[in-house]
Amino acid sequence: MDDDQAMALLTTLQRQQALQTQAIAAALEGRWTGAPPSVEAFLYALNPTLQGKITPNPPVLSGG
Amino acid sequence: MAVSQAVADQITQLQAQQAAITNALSAMLQGTWTGAGSVEAYLLALNPTLHFTPKPPDYSVSRPDQKLKWDPDLPQPHQKGSWTCSACALAWVLRATGADPNATEDSEIAEIGEPDNINATYGLMSSAGGALRAVYSKYGLSTSQGWLTFDEAWTLAGRTTGQMSGRTWYHWVALRGQDGPNIWIANSAKGYEGISESLSRADFNRLGPFSVVWLES
Repeated sequence: MDDDQAMALLTTLQRQQALQTQAIAAALEGRWTGAPPSVEAFLYALNPTLQGKITPNPPVLSGG
Repeated sequence: MAVSQAVADQITQLQAQQAAITNALSAMLQGTWTGAGSVEAYLLALNPTLHFTPKPPDYSVSRPDQKLKWDPDLPQPHQKGSWTCSACALAWVLRATGADPNATEDSEIAEIGEPDNINATYGLMSSAGGALRAVYSKYGLSTSQGWLTFDEAWTLAGRTTGQMSGRTWYHWVALRGQDGPNIWIANSAKGYEGISESLSRADFNRLGPFSVVWLES
């Protein structure tokens, strides 16, 4: 592995980490499914092969 | 210049950790908080020294599982006829959802109804997709139809499947899912108008407007 390959991998890892951080923030705010910015949308961005294979079961959120 | 083995090893470890975190997020979304394949399990894989007491959310309010499932990777054969794209897309959705694992281009031409609803002169007679929706209904699949924007279609592609046609494109394809910022499609005429299996916002705007028939979950 040369420097360029290592930098490319690190760039991908940085992008994935940003998506994971946004997914955790979406969970914290109760946005579990549907269009971005939801946990589901960020998960598909992280791994597109999960589309159609996930059965969301989000927690029941209290009102107010 | 090659990087050191130590740096390469660290990158490999980071990749494994990222995968574990993604798996944990998937488990979280699916409500698998403890036990095998759970958030707890992936967390302990990430850091075996962690000590915690899981307190999963309350799922006591029962809800029916309404999530539609389909196989987004299912291959789409090239269409035999020049006018059969809507039947091919319909057959793909029926196979991908398991509604009819044996659906084919020919079987769906027959189900749509040749020549009144689909024929060699015009293809599908109505871009509103009424004849397609009637077939889905026969399999107990509830559908909706609309002329959607790219953002609406992209969002739908993330949570359901169906089929869509661009008026300028004059071509029906099925919805596999999302491909990053693009719509991932099952295309029975790969290469037509320069489109294979990924439809960008620019392509969507160039080839639309799009009529979308989607399955309700």
